[in-house]
Amino acid sequence: MLKNYFKIAIAVLKRRKFFTFISLFGISFTLTIMMVLAAFIENVIGNDYPDRKRDRSLYITSMEERGKNAMSSGSPSFYFLNKYAATLKTPAKISICSNGGNSTNTYVNNKKIAINYKYTDANYWDILEYDFVEGKAFDAQQVKNGEHVAVISEGLKKEYFGDIPSVVGKYIEADNVQYRISGVVKNVPITTYMLYSDIYIPYTVSKIDYLNKDYQGGYIAILLAASKADLQKISNEYDDVMKRVPMENKDFDHMNCRAESYMRSFLNTGNEDSSGLTEALTAIGVFTLIVMLLPTINLININVTRIMERSSEIGVRKAFGASSKTLVYQFIVENLILTLLGGLIGIILSYIIIQIINSADLIPYFVIKMNLMVLLIALLICFVFGLFSGVYPAWRMSKLNVVTALKEQ
Amino acid sequence: MFKHLLTLIWNKKKQNLLMIAEVLISFLVIFALSTLIVFYYLNYRKPLGLEYENVWVVSYSNPLKTENGDSLKLFYKDLLNTVEALPQVKKTGFCSNNIPFYQNTWSGSLKGNGKEINNVDNYWVDENYQDVLHVKLISGRWFTKDDVLAKQKPILINQKLEKELFGKQSALGKLVDEGNRKIIGVVEDVKAKGDYSTPKVSMYMKVDTGSWHFIQRLLVKVSPNADAAFEGRLYKTIAGMMKNSNLEIEHLVDKRKSINYFSLVPMIVSLIVAVFLIINVALGLFGVLWYNINKRRGEIGLRRAIGATGKSVSSQLVSESMILATLSLVIGTFFAIQFPLLDVFDLPKEVYLIALVLSILFIYLLVFICSLYPGKQAAAIYPAVALHEE
Repeated sequence: MLKNYFKIAIAVLKRRKFFTFISLFGISFTLTIMMVLAAFIENVIGNDYPDRKRDRSLYITSMEERGKNAMSSGSPSFYFLNKYAATLKTPAKISICSNGGNSTNTYVNNKKIAINYKYTDANYWDILEYDFVEGKAFDAQQVKNGEHVAVISEGLKKEYFGDIPSVVGKYIEADNVQYRISGVVKNVPITTYMLYSDIYIPYTVSKIDYLNKDYQGGYIAILLAASKADLQKISNEYDDVMKRVPMENKDFDHMNCRAESYMRSFLNTGNEDSSGLTEALTAIGVFTLIVMLLPTINLININVTRIMERSSEIGVRKAFGASSKTLVYQFIVENLILTLLGGLIGIILSYIIIQIINSADLIPYFVIKMNLMVLLIALLICFVFGLFSGVYPAWRMSKLNVVTALKEQ
Repeated sequence: MFKHLLTLIWNKKKQNLLMIAEVLISFLVIFALSTLIVFYYLNYRKPLGLEYENVWVVSYSNPLKTENGDSLKLFYKDLLNTVEALPQVKKTGFCSNNIPFYQNTWSGSLKGNGKEINNVDNYWVDENYQDVLHVKLISGRWFTKDDVLAKQKPILINQKLEKELFGKQSALGKLVDEGNRKIIGVVEDVKAKGDYSTPKVSMYMKVDTGSWHFIQRLLVKVSPNADAAFEGRLYKTIAGMMKNSNLEIEHLVDKRKSINYFSLVPMIVSLIVAVFLIINVALGLFGVLWYNINKRRGEIGLRRAIGATGKSVSSQLVSESMILATLSLVIGTFFAIQFPLLDVFDLPKEVYLIALVLSILFIYLLVFICSLYPGKQAAAIYPAVALHEE
């Protein structure tokens, strides 16, 4: 039966090439847009290098202090995290590091290099699984001694030293300080902004006093749980600790600082009233609606037209006893075949577009890859698209009166 | 004639409803896009309000452990003199970190003339700021060294704030902030968030002893031939004076580029998407109209047979589509007009009105072009052939 529908669908497609072109153009272009968007989002949030244990980690990235007339939000300080987060009992391991967005310059051979830097502790290298190209991370002893050692990214190595095989043990100057290179890691794209950096340095050599007792101060904490089951426990334990923390000063009467999953902390706006997650989802939803709505209506319009063209065929089938249900079913299947065909073209188009985006190097070290997830999303979108644009015309078709349908010819 | 066309449309309301919906939604998409473009374009045409070429921004973290305002002041004066003594430096000045083309903002409210204006951008600057960025002075004067001594703290405001506070009156010499501050000058609006942004109400305050602990930026105006080697030297000089500070030097030229990029990328993406949507809609409209004409061969043949010219047949079909478009536009305009009426996005009203006119014209043009060819085809129908088929 399906084979027959398939044959009919192909025959109909061949009949009026112009209409087929319009339908396929609309479908494939819409799916291309949606797929590029899906691939982009999937790669931004789904990139699990270097935090491969993301599903059993919690992140403390921001805090908000509020009072009647005062509001202040930002990342917590090292002092605050060290006192309240590092002392939690449930997590298997805890790391404190500076948040992203710190940058400085270095000048080598009369060339300027802008460098992002990040202060970390030794646990950072245990919790996160960076791929080392050469060398190794610094250890707890080195951090304790305040040694000027650094782990640098592959990109920085190339920019600073050029194409040389090994740089471990060499010195790199950043922020007017000489650091001995202990290891080189693969690049992290800037979209993983919490962990992205060009150079990683022990927090003990930070130029800014990390023991400063302000509550806010540019650090984040990563809490690794022994198992997924512990995540809720850790979150609750931290909430309990937060309830007992004294306010920083009289201006504030409550504080909001939570240990959250990667997704939530990634989209955290630093404002307790609005979760970044809801806003992101709304934005994506509105965009999808606008992009999908027009082509859907267009396709419905064309489908209705095409069905009227086939009124004689439908009339004959009805006259020979085909039920409305069968006809609706047939038309929806035909439409799904058309959408899937468009989807196939869409996949090829989006593959080309993604290659163009990647070669344009819009975001450093960020490579969009098509993966199974994206293809599945594409398939789902195809299916929904085909269903929506097929139902109304099919319903119109099934209501066709046999006598008029046959008489028209 | 018109009434007759309406009857024709009404007779096929089901099919026309879909077409009206399609045109309506395209109109709304075009309206949204043209609002954005008109908004950007109107902003782009306004002057930038400052000169950013050859200005470097040195960011430092607080280097001194002391909270003593006087020793801080002394230290920074020393720093300024050292930097200005370098060969390719023209002028330097300190300011707060909300420098034009940076994402940082710092705003507060200002009371004056019985009003309170919220969200006023606060800039802390020193007397050299004017010589570095060449913000245009409209009236009054810029800060001088003696301004610290004044009882009422001197401030400068921009034209937009002057207009909001005092209307058409001059703000010069007026006391604001419950008599604590005196306006000594008015400057031209600065598009601080890039070429495509609207200037915000802003006020400039002078860096004084109390503000040194949060001032973390030094603006350096250099001569055009200053290169990376010189920048390295400047970096070393400052780093030598602030051993405990994280330093970074950025160029305002690059910052302007990147902030413009941030406003342009969403627009370019939506433009590409919209172009494809419109092509899609145009092809769809064209196809449906063309098909409809083929279906109406009998009717058209009859009209031709009783004496209608080819021209009048094709103009009838084009007018029919235009009436359909008008119906959609009436509904669309009803929705679109709500934006300026309810002031949804805080944009100037003329932006919406220009965008509305543009999108109405665009939709008419689109429908006209799409119906032109099918109309022409209808005119070519021979009555004898068409009627014979029936």
